[in-house]
Amino acid sequence: MFKSEELEINLGPQHPSTHGVLRVKLRLDGETVVSCTPVIGYLHRGLEKICENKTYFQGQVWTDRMDYVAAISNNLGWVEGVEKLFGIETPRRARYIRTMLTEMNRIASHLLWLATHALDIGAMTVFLYAFREREFLLDLFEAFCGARLTTTAFRIGGLREDLPPGFVKQARAFQAIFPERLEEYETLLSENRIWKKRTVGVARITAEDCIALGVTGPVLRAAGVPYDIRKAFPSAAYAEMDFEIPTRPEADTYARYLVRLAEMRQSHRIIQQCLDGLPEGPVMAKIPKILKSEVNEVYHAIEAPKGELGYYFVGEKGGVNPYRMHVRAPSFVNLQALPKMIEGRLLADVIAAIGTLDVVLGEIDR
Amino acid sequence: MSEPIEPQAPEGAPEGPVGPYVYDYAASPQRQIVLPKTVPLPSLKTYEAEVVAQQAADEAKWKKMQADYEVAKAKAEAEGKDAPKPPVKPVPRKDDNDMKTPWPQVAKDPDLLRLQQLLGEQVEEIFEQAGELTCQVRKEALHEALRICRDDADLKYEMLADQTGTHYPAAKEFAFSLVYHLTSISRRKRLRLRILVPEGFEPESACSLYPSANWMERETYDMLGIRFKDHPDMTRILCPEDWEAYPLRKEYPVVGLGQRDIDFREDRGGVLMRIAMQKAGQMGINLKQPTAD
Repeated sequence: MFKSEELEINLGPQHPSTHGVLRVKLRLDGETVVSCTPVIGYLHRGLEKICENKTYFQGQVWTDRMDYVAAISNNLGWVEGVEKLFGIETPRRARYIRTMLTEMNRIASHLLWLATHALDIGAMTVFLYAFREREFLLDLFEAFCGARLTTTAFRIGGLREDLPPGFVKQARAFQAIFPERLEEYETLLSENRIWKKRTVGVARITAEDCIALGVTGPVLRAAGVPYDIRKAFPSAAYAEMDFEIPTRPEADTYARYLVRLAEMRQSHRIIQQCLDGLPEGPVMAKIPKILKSEVNEVYHAIEAPKGELGYYFVGEKGGVNPYRMHVRAPSFVNLQALPKMIEGRLLADVIAAIGTLDVVLGEIDR
Repeated sequence: MSEPIEPQAPEGAPEGPVGPYVYDYAASPQRQIVLPKTVPLPSLKTYEAEVVAQQAADEAKWKKMQADYEVAKAKAEAEGKDAPKPPVKPVPRKDDNDMKTPWPQVAKDPDLLRLQQLLGEQVEEIFEQAGELTCQVRKEALHEALRICRDDADLKYEMLADQTGTHYPAAKEFAFSLVYHLTSISRRKRLRLRILVPEGFEPESACSLYPSANWMERETYDMLGIRFKDHPDMTRILCPEDWEAYPLRKEYPVVGLGQRDIDFREDRGGVLMRIAMQKAGQMGINLKQPTAD
């Protein structure tokens, strides 16, 4: 009467909850996942090849198109990597503004994550609430650099322009409303019975597995490892900032939700410190119009909202383009942990696991 | 009644028997391959040799200037003219900017010295540059070096953050450099392990030591064509399975192989493309479909 048969299905590449064109091959036994293979590459544009044929100034534009919800973080990694390659010292005011914008971008990225993750699991209201605050931040980015998503916010050596008039006032207005808005999300989700049933104990991965698989960012911190590149290898103005690394020991989806909410609070703290202690001075270092590199290689990593975002440059003597450019995309490495998280669990948990990893396919496929 | 306007071929389109609206693959400027002539492999030994050679060249130039001056002076004295100006030793030009090029430096970091002590002859070079530690080992000793980095109590590099490679077509002894960026979470340190491999050499996979190397090595294989020994699943990851070339090699053109014949940048409205397709259709020719070769 009952017969057991394994079923192979495709989740994606055209599925709303895979957040892009991610295809996951699943073998199911009833509702239990037996094995899982992520298939990627549908969005591959050859970004590394393109950047090898662009100058250091032009290549930054392409980084916006990787993780398009956190373009400012990508820009920060690129400009700091190039500055390290050339040994450029950036003015302090520029570093403060960079830090502030990157933290705003972290909040925007986490808000988008919260909105879509909750939507996947079935909480519609959070989506609308989170997008309201994200819109505020995107307006600030637009005031600063004219674009909402593909920002190209910084320049090698500093910033193209200082903050526009009225920016600080608007940023302070955001700072004033944001803590209570965060509490609104918490009242919607933190003690919600359905939310907790869908997330507590789901998609667990231990700290040892995280480190072995190279998983970084909030997923690693939710497994209890206080590793944050802003503290471990500080760049920009992070060394002068006072903030904490939120961690949780549970290593499940709910813990990652709590860690990301706590991270938004810390980002809020950093923005406040940047606004209060914004130093005066120039925003651009003196650099030549044409940058010609020497033989050198650097690997520069920053803490993007998804994890460790690393840029690897090889410079050629007298070259205006990088001889080799490579991106260590956090989502690419984090997605490797997906089979470990969901094998042996239920099909419905796959959606929660993809959401909690916070992958962006533009960054995975590059 | 005016004559119907014949559609014009875009300016700069190559003339040939292919037809006015179909772009010639080989003539497209984006298809031209300029192979690099130098080998930009950062290395302390090369840098020191360069510095010595530069100093010798400067010295020789200065000697020649002095000799020329002596000759000119003797000549002027013989002809009874005024003596020429004595030469001024050239000084390096000073740039007024905030750049300080990071040159390679002698390794002082205890991690690098420890690695050299443990690996001995297997280490080819250690140096520091731009605040980053680089250790180049022999290509056969990669696995041992990775294991020591992970397990040694003084090193403890727990995480493999990144793995990638670079193609050097101008080099003679090797074709690729492979770099492994290791991170020590507990000690807040980074280290770069580097090996140089020739074409066709299969380095050992790091998957058994660092499982995160799985996809990174697949990406390296996909982009550069370096196969790894004992890898659990050595298949393409970003390109389609039947893709034949390796895009990040320097001999691969910027506009990839297998892209369309018509240059769409010249034809924003798509008019030329439509006419070309129409004409080809009337002649019973199916325009070449994009293929993966």
